[in-house]
Amino acid sequence: MSAPDTSLSPDPRPQIEEGPSGAQVSGSLCGACGYAVALERPRCPVCHADRLEPRRFGPGGTVWSSTVVRIPVAGRTPPYTLAYVNLDENGPRILAHVIGSDAAPAVGARVRLTGVGADGDAEVEAA
Amino acid sequence: MSGVAIWGVGTSRFGRQPDESPASLAWKAVLEALADAGTDSVDAVWVGTCFGAPGTAQRALHAAGITEVPIVTVENACASGTTALHEASEAVRTGRYERVLALGIEHLTSTFAGAIEPEQGDTEGASGMALPSIYAMSAARYVAEHGVTHEQLAAVAVKNSRHGALNERAMRRGELTVEQVLGSRMVADPLTLLQCCSLSDAAAAAVLGPPRDEPRDVRIRSSVLRSGALWDQRTDHVWGYEIVRETASAAYEQAGIGVADVDLFEVHDAFTIGEIVTTEALGLAPEGEGAALLDSGTTALGGSTPVNPSGGLLARGHPLGATGLAQTAEITWQLRGEAGPRQVEGARIGVVETMGGGVSGIDGNGAVVAVLEG
Repeated sequence: MSAPDTSLSPDPRPQIEEGPSGAQVSGSLCGACGYAVALERPRCPVCHADRLEPRRFGPGGTVWSSTVVRIPVAGRTPPYTLAYVNLDENGPRILAHVIGSDAAPAVGARVRLTGVGADGDAEVEAA
Repeated sequence: MSGVAIWGVGTSRFGRQPDESPASLAWKAVLEALADAGTDSVDAVWVGTCFGAPGTAQRALHAAGITEVPIVTVENACASGTTALHEASEAVRTGRYERVLALGIEHLTSTFAGAIEPEQGDTEGASGMALPSIYAMSAARYVAEHGVTHEQLAAVAVKNSRHGALNERAMRRGELTVEQVLGSRMVADPLTLLQCCSLSDAAAAAVLGPPRDEPRDVRIRSSVLRSGALWDQRTDHVWGYEIVRETASAAYEQAGIGVADVDLFEVHDAFTIGEIVTTEALGLAPEGEGAALLDSGTTALGGSTPVNPSGGLLARGHPLGATGLAQTAEITWQLRGEAGPRQVEGARIGVVETMGGGVSGIDGNGAVVAVLEG
């Protein structure tokens, strides 16, 4: 199977960059209300202020929930593990692939962003 | 007399129907609903379909001679059919039109071979999430937070299979056991195959108009449509909970009722966890205690407040656009006392709830809750 068709740019997944402490999500923080968002937004969707400022989040985070996908999905080879991760310091909740384990990490488990996988996904592993 | 009434309802059968077209399914639903309503024509049509091709509505309707009137197609994911119902109801209530047809059409088996996937332009779609894994995320969170067992999750599918066995239009007619549900193959942990609705094809319809002197008519006491708030790190509620809670609260208030006044529900149980969370959002159980409704039999046929007597999405089937109007048809039959072997005795007030989602970052694309009275 081929990789997912992400030709509809921009890529709707979190953008990851290497920071001084490891991989981080390159997102925005609202200067008015403090709302953190991983993806591009035209203004703060919470308070509507035009004060979104670039901010990096992570690499540390906590698993909000997780699952192992065991059915065929276009461009993917099951099984693979996904998690919603709340990034530290009131960072955004992101969807990431979990690497290094065949099991879904427990709710509340500590994880760490490792970077971008071959398919372009944000990846985390147990911290 | 102001207000809105359901004059008639109709549906096709539900299931894999490769020999039927979207149009031929719609003909069955529309002609049954018109005959049931005792009318031959309508002034306008709202049609819900999620994956239907452009022109699906007109393609179906012109062949049955429904032409020249306004035809409006709406899409709201799994709530597309109930969105059509809501808009038709508002059109009658505000006096815009008199007789309005609400129609839902979906032919999923010609569109998908496997699980439905969110759009590739969404984070979830681009990241390899299929719809079952979105609900699996909810189930995993809910299990960890509230201590619900896998057997309790499976109990939703067992209950609704018993109901579906009594519904001759349902897709799945066999009664399931907890062992069968948990023994079916794992789709996305912790949800097994029989905890997920199947792809199916169907159409369903309702004819709405002002209240008239006809004892079989069912009143629409209220109907509310909302889209989801942002769903992000600020909430620990699972996806789809808050939108249903807020929509239901507004629908009860507009109808001037409380949840205790409702005799039965048709709700969005596309996956087992969905019914547990939704019954809490509807106020049937406190947060985290929805599974107790299954343990006690409260929401089974014969219990005090049956939920999904039709078999729900799990057993009847979930052809997205048709679902909301199939739910509406079931509540209508129940409130008339025409539901046969699955009749809820003495049912006077019934609620329809549908929640559609898929777009990343919001708590559901749309939810509709309608309060009906016989």
